[in-house]
Amino acid sequence: MASLTLSQIEKTLGTTPILRGIDLDVTDGELVVLVGPSGCGKSTLLRTIAGLELPDRGTVKIGERDVTHLAPRERDVAMVFQSYALYPHLSVRENLAFGLRLRGETSEAISARIADVAQSLGLEKLLERLPKQLSGGQRQRVAMGRAIARRPSLFLFDEPLSNLDAALRGEVRVEIKKLHAKLGATMVYVTHDQVEAMTLADKLVVLRAGRVEQIGPPLEVYKHPASRFVASFLGTPGMGFLPARAGGGRVKAEGVDVALPDGLAAHEGDVVLGVRPHDVRLLPNKTKGALQLTVDVVEAMGFEAYAHGHIGGKPFVARLEGDAQTGVRPGDVVGLDVEADGVHLFDPKSEVALTAPPARTKGAA
Amino acid sequence: MSAPSSQRAHGRALLAELGVHLLVLLAVVFALYPVLWVVALALSPGDAPEPRVLPFASHPSLEHFAAVLGVGAGSEAGGGWLFGRQLLNSVLVSASTAIVAVALATPAAYALARFDFVGAKEGERALLATQMFPGVAASIPLYLILDALGLLDTRTGLVLVYATTAVPFAIFQLRGAFAAIPKDLEEAAMVDGATRFGAFLRVVLPVVRPALAVTALFAFMTAWNEFVLAATFLSREETFTLPVVLQRYVGEYDARWGRFAAGAILVSLPVMGLFYALQRNLVRGLSAGGVKG
Amino acid sequence: MTGSVRRLAALSGLAALSLFAQLSVFSGDGAPVAKAQDARRTVRVWHAYDEAEARALREVVRDFERSPEGQPYRLEVLHVAFGAYAAKLESAIPTGEGPDVFIDAHERIVTYVERHLVQPFGALSGRERFDFDAAHLEALTVGRALYGLPLALKCGALYVNDALLPNDPATLEELEALRAHLPVGTYPLVFEAESAYWDAGLLHAYGGRLLDSSGRYAFFGPAAERTLAHLRRLVDTAVVPAEASGDLVKKLFAGGRAATAIGGPWLAPDLPRSLHWHVAPLPSVRAASGAPLVPYVTIEAALIATRAREIEGARAFARFLAGPKGAAVRARVARQIVASRTAALDPELVRDPFLSAFRRSAEHGLPLPTNPRMRSTFEPAQRAIRNYLRGGRSARDVLEQGERRFDDLVRPLPAERSPAPALLVVSLGLLLAVAVAVRRARDPHFRLAVKRSLPAYAYVTHAVIAVGLLVIAPLAVGAATSLFAGAPGNLHYVGLANYVDVLTARGGALLGTGSFWLVLLVTILWTAVNVALHLLLGVGLALLLDRPTLRFRGIYRVLLVLPWAVPSYVTALAWKGMFHRQFGAVNAMLSALGGEPISWFARWSTAFAANVATNVWLGFPFMMVVTLGALAAIPQDLYEAAEVDGATAWQRFRLVTWPLLAPSLGPAIAMGAVWTFNMFNVVFLVSGGEPDGTTDILVSEAYRWAFTRSQQVGYAAAYAVLIFGVLWIGTRALGRATAPDAAGTKS
Repeated sequence: MASLTLSQIEKTLGTTPILRGIDLDVTDGELVVLVGPSGCGKSTLLRTIAGLELPDRGTVKIGERDVTHLAPRERDVAMVFQSYALYPHLSVRENLAFGLRLRGETSEAISARIADVAQSLGLEKLLERLPKQLSGGQRQRVAMGRAIARRPSLFLFDEPLSNLDAALRGEVRVEIKKLHAKLGATMVYVTHDQVEAMTLADKLVVLRAGRVEQIGPPLEVYKHPASRFVASFLGTPGMGFLPARAGGGRVKAEGVDVALPDGLAAHEGDVVLGVRPHDVRLLPNKTKGALQLTVDVVEAMGFEAYAHGHIGGKPFVARLEGDAQTGVRPGDVVGLDVEADGVHLFDPKSEVALTAPPARTKGAA
Repeated sequence: MSAPSSQRAHGRALLAELGVHLLVLLAVVFALYPVLWVVALALSPGDAPEPRVLPFASHPSLEHFAAVLGVGAGSEAGGGWLFGRQLLNSVLVSASTAIVAVALATPAAYALARFDFVGAKEGERALLATQMFPGVAASIPLYLILDALGLLDTRTGLVLVYATTAVPFAIFQLRGAFAAIPKDLEEAAMVDGATRFGAFLRVVLPVVRPALAVTALFAFMTAWNEFVLAATFLSREETFTLPVVLQRYVGEYDARWGRFAAGAILVSLPVMGLFYALQRNLVRGLSAGGVKG
Repeated sequence: MTGSVRRLAALSGLAALSLFAQLSVFSGDGAPVAKAQDARRTVRVWHAYDEAEARALREVVRDFERSPEGQPYRLEVLHVAFGAYAAKLESAIPTGEGPDVFIDAHERIVTYVERHLVQPFGALSGRERFDFDAAHLEALTVGRALYGLPLALKCGALYVNDALLPNDPATLEELEALRAHLPVGTYPLVFEAESAYWDAGLLHAYGGRLLDSSGRYAFFGPAAERTLAHLRRLVDTAVVPAEASGDLVKKLFAGGRAATAIGGPWLAPDLPRSLHWHVAPLPSVRAASGAPLVPYVTIEAALIATRAREIEGARAFARFLAGPKGAAVRARVARQIVASRTAALDPELVRDPFLSAFRRSAEHGLPLPTNPRMRSTFEPAQRAIRNYLRGGRSARDVLEQGERRFDDLVRPLPAERSPAPALLVVSLGLLLAVAVAVRRARDPHFRLAVKRSLPAYAYVTHAVIAVGLLVIAPLAVGAATSLFAGAPGNLHYVGLANYVDVLTARGGALLGTGSFWLVLLVTILWTAVNVALHLLLGVGLALLLDRPTLRFRGIYRVLLVLPWAVPSYVTALAWKGMFHRQFGAVNAMLSALGGEPISWFARWSTAFAANVATNVWLGFPFMMVVTLGALAAIPQDLYEAAEVDGATAWQRFRLVTWPLLAPSLGPAIAMGAVWTFNMFNVVFLVSGGEPDGTTDILVSEAYRWAFTRSQQVGYAAAYAVLIFGVLWIGTRALGRATAPDAAGTKS
């Protein structure tokens, strides 16, 4: 196993910049998830790590080795593709053996390794089949097996679950988590699915338009998004954003009057207030609250409900807990309280999160 | 569903099936009819022409076949073994043509399908252009080139000429097949430890095998039926291919069509065999080529 | 110039060769091993004889090698197919790869002399002079030099079926009278009534000529008109069958369906033993004041090639072959009408009725004029005859048209021009190209792009070299000859004169028969109709065969690709036979259904339809297989979805299948269109351009200019370049009009 260090990776396709100077450290045994909307460069970054793309600038180091200019086969990485990329003319066994054979392993070692992998992934009965004779889930497992059998210093996953149906996806997600725990391997995992990102990552990297937007443990990123973009990307339903004005320890707008917590109280001027649906509490009997939500639709989930509506013309969703939902009807105007740590402020121009005044000047600079 | 209506539906399906068979059989008759006339021509040495609808010889005889094979009366001396030798030549030349054409075309088609390189577009246009240009005045320059290369009167030279003529179509055919293969496969192989060329050899080529087979078959046929170039470039009997020999039945004053037809049937038997053997590949190979031509 | 070209060619071919060397699976391509051990010198002999003559030649060769004069020599005999003979001689002799001696007809000698393919034979001894007929030697003399030794005579005579006609007919009119006594379907006389070569016999009887002694076209005037009228009478009264080909003549006579036949000695070997027949002199024509039919005579000769390596041996063998000993063998084995008088006077030969009848016929015959313009008389004369026999036009009309056509065919070669302007343009172009190249090479983006392309070049280089050297270079040289005029070996630079002539229809009407523009229209129509029918039939059958429930699919599939597997040169001939007016299967079917038989090649529409039928037959399997392949790639659930949505079969095809099919058929259609546009075989073999050249397409027209007319290679090359231009523009326009990826041009 090995660590991975990316520094100042830049890549341009034609005249379109895809990666604009990316720095990333992955420590030994860490599972890092690269997440972002399509076109953010996450796949290109992964392919750059694999050696399938060469960066225009910057270096890639695996362990202490500078692999920037090495061919994929010299990097000792394994990759699971979104399409699985199983070799259609080879049986499952031959698919698993392919990489080992190319590396000149003895046939005894190869069969031992295959038996091992097949057993741990439950592929024993499929070994002689061709890929076209497998179901989607089975193919996915073979693709993973092919990577595992190689025992590389670094695992790369390129949206490996996106071709599976929802139920299977959840299952395999857990399996990957277990696998990571068992192998203790260094992994880089690309996805656009925030659930996968949140649940799998030791470290989450949010990418946007070829730049790193934020790096951190998933909960940290969730709780303290560095920008409006990150905040909107994580969490379902997404965070509500309300343009407002801060001053005197409060932030105000039409239907908004929220007290700022200590760290943010010093802010003055135009801001965007961000509040997650989960961070509000419904006030009983139409009491006027920090937020006044005009309800359009109520989605009841049984144990909770989501009230979709608007505040001062801006869309906003509130989570209603337990049976409190029963009183709310479309057309109602309800009062909401905001949890103290649920208040996020963003600069309306740069969209950077406002934490303390010094951060603001840094963002402006 | 009630029984009678399901029976009626079943009956209708059967009728439709019958109709399809009828249509296809009609097409089969259309396809076979002229071929049967060729067979009749080959089997009827003494028949007077009759306005007949059915293409069958009235007094079938194998005389023409015997003459062509060099076993019967009226055959040329040296017949039998020479025919065998020339058959061998045809097989060798055509098979080598297929191999060389595929060997030349495969990497080039792969490059066109996968790499973005300077000159790709121009090259492709030039290939297309070769298919459009009638070769009316090209045979003498070609003769001079072969002479300069010292390949005149050799089967090697002939194979090279055939193979290169077959290359443009082979490249079009294979480029489509390669384009239809997901790039992931090669990338997976490269990550698994193969070089780019290794991935091409170990993963891409096996996957396009049907297309390779069909392309080879086309190249084989170009060589198998050609006679003008072969007769022009070859100057020794023992290097002749079968069509060259066959064409001798068409003289300046007189053509012996019966012998010619008999010979043509003999010549096309191996090709029919190949078609039959490769018919599954034929469809699959072209489908790979067709998907993203 | 050729030296440097050769070096360059050799160099650039090396890479392709080295690859091939590894793949080459057979040896024995080198020089014959026997040569090294054999002290004798090798004399190479080429011929295009038929079976029996080839056998006779082999026997003579054996005798020669055993004879004292032949002792020092070893003979290498090559039997070349006639279809490739001229091309092979033309290519091989100038490079020194040709024969020492070759056998050919006297009428081509002048052309060969002009192209420096033959050399004077040298003086004959007095005995030799005596052995040959002075007229025959005269026919082989050009300027003052004798170019070959006469071997045998080829001409027509009258074959008589003893069962149908007990006495030799003295006059043509007697044969006409026989009509009343023969059953329907049996003819008093069969010969190729639509061939100018055979009709010349009658023309000569009436005192006419195809070409006069000073090389002017002469097929017009009273003699020609009377000939036409007589021919028409023969055909209309069914004395002679219509549209008779050489093959039909042979078959009718062999099958006992003709009392007499006019044909050459080559007719005899194919006649069955059960048939009783003999050969008689040609009858005379009472209507022509009793003058006999006068056939053309061809004198076959042994010629010495220029650059012969073994001249003495070549002469020695030619003398032996033509002389009494060789002639005796040829007469005995191949029943040749030998030219050697000594051999012919052999009592055994004199007694042979076949040989003596032909000899008499030849003595009365007219040697084919050696003037190279003779070659150009046949096409206009033949068309005039056919137009007259098949259409309702007046004799004078068709003959005048023939005369104009002849003038058109022997069009005076454009004057030589200074190549200076062209060289200037070429050098300016080169300069510009160099300048552009230098500028691009300085551009860092371009350099980076080239650097990134390097790995790709490793994959394409060998194909580029091979195709460039063996496909593109010859085509480019071929294209360049369009700037020259004259026969091969005797070209001069004329600038764009050939193009000007083609595009202005040589001064004739722009949409007149044979004009480039009219032929282009026909070609476009030809391509469109064929491609449409290929698609209709191919796609239709593929859809039927694609039904997974269909039984015998495999068998059907194989049977349906059969037209593809049998060589097209023989199936095209079968099709031509099927469209014959009297004996064709198509007309037989028509009359079985109660219809009138159609003279398929007499009208443009029917001749065109016959060509189309043949080509559709040849081409639909390809489209079918391509479609089957494309259908296999369409997921089945799409149909099910459409069926669930309530789509009818037609809607399913139009809305689901076709949109998915069209992009993958695009390249096949484009290829098919290009191939059809240049589909020479079908047009040439089936309709042969009939009626009157109107069904010719551009390629067959180019072919005629290159090979069957006055061999105007430059002119034909101009056609080829124009064909290329039309296709290039056409496919690009189509590519733009349809989806960018649908035309396969990807440009």
